[in-house]
Amino acid sequence: MKKRGRGIACMWYPIGFTVAANPSAAVVKVNEDGTATLLTGTVETGQGSLTVLGQIVAEELGIATDDVHVVSADTDTTPMDTGAIASRTTYVTGNASRLAAEKAKEILFQVAAPMLGVKPEQLEARDRKIQVKNYPQRSIGIGEVANQAQFVMGQPALGSASFNPPTVALDPATGQGKPFATYVYATQIADVDVDDETGEVEVLRIVAAHDCGTAINPMLVEGQIEGGISMGVGFALQEEMLFDKNGKQLNPNLTNYIMPTSLDMPEIEVDIVKNFDPTGPFGAKGVGEPTAVPTAAAIMNAIYDAVGARVYSLPATPERVLAAIKAARAKKLPKPKRKETQKRIAAH
Amino acid sequence: MTDVTLKINGETRSASVPPETTLLKMLRENFNLTGAKLGCDIGDCGACTVIIDGKSVNSCLMLAGQVDGREVLTIEGLATPDHLHPIQKTFEDCASLQCGFCGPGVIMSAKALLDDNPNPSVVEIRDALAGNLCRCTGYTKMIQAVQEASKVMRSDTVRRLAKTNG
Repeated sequence: MKKRGRGIACMWYPIGFTVAANPSAAVVKVNEDGTATLLTGTVETGQGSLTVLGQIVAEELGIATDDVHVVSADTDTTPMDTGAIASRTTYVTGNASRLAAEKAKEILFQVAAPMLGVKPEQLEARDRKIQVKNYPQRSIGIGEVANQAQFVMGQPALGSASFNPPTVALDPATGQGKPFATYVYATQIADVDVDDETGEVEVLRIVAAHDCGTAINPMLVEGQIEGGISMGVGFALQEEMLFDKNGKQLNPNLTNYIMPTSLDMPEIEVDIVKNFDPTGPFGAKGVGEPTAVPTAAAIMNAIYDAVGARVYSLPATPERVLAAIKAARAKKLPKPKRKETQKRIAAH
Repeated sequence: MTDVTLKINGETRSASVPPETTLLKMLRENFNLTGAKLGCDIGDCGACTVIIDGKSVNSCLMLAGQVDGREVLTIEGLATPDHLHPIQKTFEDCASLQCGFCGPGVIMSAKALLDDNPNPSVVEIRDALAGNLCRCTGYTKMIQAVQEASKVMRSDTVRRLAKTNG
């Protein structure tokens, strides 16, 4: 019979390396046509990091994302980046990119201030213009300011910056320290059907609430969460590398290493928790790896809720779930009482 | 050598290939159509999906000789220089792809589905995409995109019919 269960799992996850240096650097140049160029060493693998970095630079300079030309991952031209790892790109490379854009913007402010007859700190960058705060009609196009900076003032609008998350090494005696600059949090809830005769588990729905600081690009955050959940579902129920006793993998291809298909995926509901981290670029932290962390635990808790059986070894294949159900049932059977056994022995 | 003449994306093309050449290899190496991807090469991943006479197939599992005289549609045949195909457009709008390696195959499977069944249910969409593995996206936004594309394509059909009927 199919039994329904619901499970919940929570997690926290750090952004960046544990204490070890993991810097990112960026160069931002504001061009005379009002566009900007960002040089970054980070790698785009489909997660959308270059879009997010472009958005961060655009926001800092008050221009459109399309105005930012991102040059990435070219060792001839871009600064070295620690990598698209440790869920660190938005936070670490994002901070470096924002700081570089801020430096270029400061030059634009210095150049625009005498043109507008105000002090640099009275200026803001918005709508592709450098304008006096609260007086948007007193403004100059950002391209014109960049042109003035280059050709009249002789001070090109460039900025370069690096960011390394501030940490405190762990004390070997006490274990105390500050291993990471920031953390993200999430809760996932899984609804499952468990067939208690076959041990087969079907994940029906997963609701995922994730804190990633400011979601700079909510659609990309959703994509990361949905992808992480598919990896979590595979980890929970399907995926396992099998080895023979000589260490040779028995299932080295996709015929027998079974990863989730579109038919294995549950309905997913994503909830991006509103949060703001003052140490991140525009309040952002990260979202990559954490998305796959709580999924399997939520599914295992849902299996327990459905059939009262704990599975301690992943993946929870039908064989393992059925064995756990049988073990749970065996535990529940009343043990024969000692006196009754003695009586029975005596009767013989 | 095997001589093959077939229609690819509406154009008649010919090639002479060793008999063991797969359709995928011929598309990529003889015709320079590299949209269909070489993933597993054994029919598990679906990255090489193309449409032959209206049916989606893994081009890594078909010999080039088997498509002699038949009609093959690849991802390159969907868009015109000015317009993406509605499925490509909704995949873009819904942010359905991440690394994108599975994309051409998924879109061709979706095209075969929508040509055959213009208004599929979510279950039918999941079923049609089940042969295309994706490690990045969890398929969620792909399923949304196919639903959106089915709406766009149906309203396009209605508009076209209204035009021809005057």
